[in-house]
Amino acid sequence: MIITRPKPIEEILSMVEMFPDLSICVVGCGICARKIQTGGEAQVSMMTAQLQRSGLDVLDGKIVKHACSTKSWDSFVEENPALDKAGILVVMSCGAGVSLLGRISGKPTLAGLDTTSLGSSLKDETLENFCAMCGDCNVGLYAGLCPKSGCPKSQVNGPCGGSIDGDCEVGERECIWAKIYEILESRDMLQLMDGIRPPVNHDRRL
Amino acid sequence: MGFADVLESGKFVVTAEVSPPKGTDISGALAGAGLLQGLVDAVNVTDNQRSMMRMSPIVLCHKLGEMGFETIMHMTCRDRNRLALQSDLLAAHALGVHNILAMSGDYPTMGDQPSTKPVFDLDSVQLLQLIEKMNNGFDFHDKPIDSPTSLYAGAVANPGARPLEPQLLKLNKKVLAKVRFIQTQAVFDAAVFNEFADAARHTGISVIAGIIPLRSAQNARFMNEKIPGVKIPDEAISRMDAAADPALEGMRIAAETIADIRINCQGIHIMPIGGHGNTRRLLEMCGLD
Repeated sequence: MIITRPKPIEEILSMVEMFPDLSICVVGCGICARKIQTGGEAQVSMMTAQLQRSGLDVLDGKIVKHACSTKSWDSFVEENPALDKAGILVVMSCGAGVSLLGRISGKPTLAGLDTTSLGSSLKDETLENFCAMCGDCNVGLYAGLCPKSGCPKSQVNGPCGGSIDGDCEVGERECIWAKIYEILESRDMLQLMDGIRPPVNHDRRL
Repeated sequence: MGFADVLESGKFVVTAEVSPPKGTDISGALAGAGLLQGLVDAVNVTDNQRSMMRMSPIVLCHKLGEMGFETIMHMTCRDRNRLALQSDLLAAHALGVHNILAMSGDYPTMGDQPSTKPVFDLDSVQLLQLIEKMNNGFDFHDKPIDSPTSLYAGAVANPGARPLEPQLLKLNKKVLAKVRFIQTQAVFDAAVFNEFADAARHTGISVIAGIIPLRSAQNARFMNEKIPGVKIPDEAISRMDAAADPALEGMRIAAETIADIRINCQGIHIMPIGGHGNTRRLLEMCGLD
């Protein structure tokens, strides 16, 4: 699940206003953004209405099955003909969907959301920062909970000194290391914390 | 005698913290440190502490060295990737700055540049390993370096962090990575410190306890809320509330804390709020002047 968050409408308007003569199509995504309710039907309708209230020419607002994966631009157009007629696209998906549409539509394509992390959807809860996409995965050493993404300081050798009563010093979140320790201890696997872990090999992402 | 020799002689050491300026004039910082002449075994110089943008500590350490001070330069992993860490370690060494305090660093949103990209390419344990490697004549990628460093590396610990067990595991890793000494987050509760010291004793590492003399009850509440990892007990805050001379009461609390932990540490590290005007007096109260 790719985690997205709404963008301030002023930011979207300031981008759209760079193309005053073009009509708009708002595009949601039927996978992650729909599931976590950042780019589903309700959010696309709201965005469409907000842009229209600002006096903009919005042809349509619809979600596509998956904004990040398609056979061709024509397949998107089959799903929603307004895509072809619009001058610009405001895409309410993760950055991958925006980029794919930007690449194949031949139209100015604007991000309607901010993409923040890889996470999960558990019942009605959205869980963020599950994976940092570092390209050098050893999450099995950490009870399946990645400290590179779960810890704001990406600490791979244990917690920083800011962990108080199991809470992280940054924002409202648990200290991932308190959780990792708790699970490893319950499995009698604390020896996994003995050795010094090397830093991420960023070379592997190229 | 250098700080390493003093510490390894077994002496009870006193260190004190100064900060580089937020600006280009270092005369105030040097004058502030001047109050510590003859009082301390080394002066710590902070590195964008609490993520507040200030001058690099390298130059202030160098200038303090010219004044005859031993310095301990803080180096956070927050602002530098492994290339920059290595460059700055070489630069520090070339300027005669040989004691390094390796730390992760407070998160940028704590400070005055909250939109900063946090680096954290290495953590404090890996930075200690890097320093050891450079002392042995190699860079991060095992390529030889000309004229190796001879850096004396310390690290930090927070006795008040909870749960404590993962903190101790990290301390063990720092010891594995050849840390030479530990300076702690400010201690306000002697029992909490002593519990940590007991748990850390088996490592044999020298622990220097952090001390912040409180200035007022309001300032204590502010620190509880804003400074990561600080936990000032209610009792100390009540004493500050009731005191006719809060600054003096803050020093009394600090002196009592030092007396209660002294047997369990190899030194104290003074981190005053707003300058070292009272540091001599505090050390006199403790018989450490």
